Amino acid sequence: MRPGRCYGFFGRNGAGKTTTIKCLLNLLRPTSGSVRVFGLDPQKEEVAVKSRLAYVPDTVAFYPWMTVRDALNYQASFRQHWNDTISADLQRRFELDPKQKTANLSKGQKTQLALIGAIAAEPELLVLDEPTSGLDPIVRREFIETVIGAYQSGDPDRRTVFVSTHLIAEFEGLIDEFTIIAQGRNLLTMNADQARNRFCKIRARFADAPPELKLPGAINVRQIGRELELIGNGNAKELLETLRAQRPEELRCEALSLEEIFVASKSLVQESTL
Amino acid sequence: MVFHVDFKSGKPVYLQLVDQVRYAAASGALRPGDLLPSIRPLAEELRVNRNTVAKAYTELESRGIIETAAGKGCFLKENDSPLNKQVRHKLLVARIDEAVVTAYQMQVGPEVLRGLVDERIQFFDRKKAGTQPGSESDPQEKEQIWTPTNPSSTFPISADVMENWTPSTD
Repeated sequence: MRPGRCYGFFGRNGAGKTTTIKCLLNLLRPTSGSVRVFGLDPQKEEVAVKSRLAYVPDTVAFYPWMTVRDALNYQASFRQHWNDTISADLQRRFELDPKQKTANLSKGQKTQLALIGAIAAEPELLVLDEPTSGLDPIVRREFIETVIGAYQSGDPDRRTVFVSTHLIAEFEGLIDEFTIIAQGRNLLTMNADQARNRFCKIRARFADAPPELKLPGAINVRQIGRELELIGNGNAKELLETLRAQRPEELRCEALSLEEIFVASKSLVQESTL
Repeated sequence: MVFHVDFKSGKPVYLQLVDQVRYAAASGALRPGDLLPSIRPLAEELRVNRNTVAKAYTELESRGIIETAAGKGCFLKENDSPLNKQVRHKLLVARIDEAVVTAYQMQVGPEVLRGLVDERIQFFDRKKAGTQPGSESDPQEKEQIWTPTNPSSTFPISADVMENWTPSTD
């Protein structure tokens, strides 16, 4: 990972996303392999690592007797650096009442409070684990805008985001690079723009049944009535030429979104040499 | 101007933004001296990485399309016409292509299409000259006026047009 960029971390339930993140935070110890954050071993240099990052999990717990203000003061007391202006701005934006007991906050408000705590510390690395799951669309939208605005824009060259999510489409614009993991292993790591440029869905509709064609490198070829659907892997031009030669009634090509790439990732990796 | 991002286009997001500014400049949606939105609010609104927007603006600046005034923001520069003419033609060709394809799908022959284009040009000429056409067809003609919006919008085929245009099969 490089500073100032946003990394997406995708995988099915049980693939090992949260386990990986917990290893980064020294909440779990790897049974094999090693973990490095900022080049440091989070197990040996826990404080050095944790003082430079902030973490927002999917379910946030606060001490229930604390108010919003108490909870933020409590978090600030552990931090070398704390930006009160950002904290106040975000409390206003999220309409959080400083006197409200955290026990009475909704799930969305708890996530907002956790985000304030993470961003006010202005860390170099923001680790988000399924941060927006189960939240309403407005809270989700505000969450992402806050990560882009209040966090990233503060010092764009040094603010790094690492986000694990199933709501891939929502984070799509934010993500520079992504990793898909399966069964604890890296399945695919790519730059998002390059991936969208490389993988595309091609649809060809013919006047009659689609002709038998040799389509080298085409992935997930499906026939639906008079239509042929397939995924191109960096070879869209050749595939389109082959199909066009058969004079289809209609020929379409569109990039796969990151979510579609994730869904197709198994066959993309199996049937191609990446 | 209103930006939009399409992840299905396969084009890098920053280039989409660059091209939208170029098109807006060529089509007059942005005029020299117009202020572009600042990076942070635009990134928040589009929900794209702040650095993506910054990269687009850097690219536009290095191509001489916009300039940054310290503390004021980014402005569209005075335009250079050869590029603009090219972009305008490209824009127009895309729209003409859509009409040609639509006509083909609706089985409207090329001669009829050419006739319709001439008819529309004459219609706008009449409007410009201030001589209104016959009053009985006026509301209908108003309905059919199509104003260009953004380069990626689809060619509108209203129900009205579908009903009133008899497809010819030559």
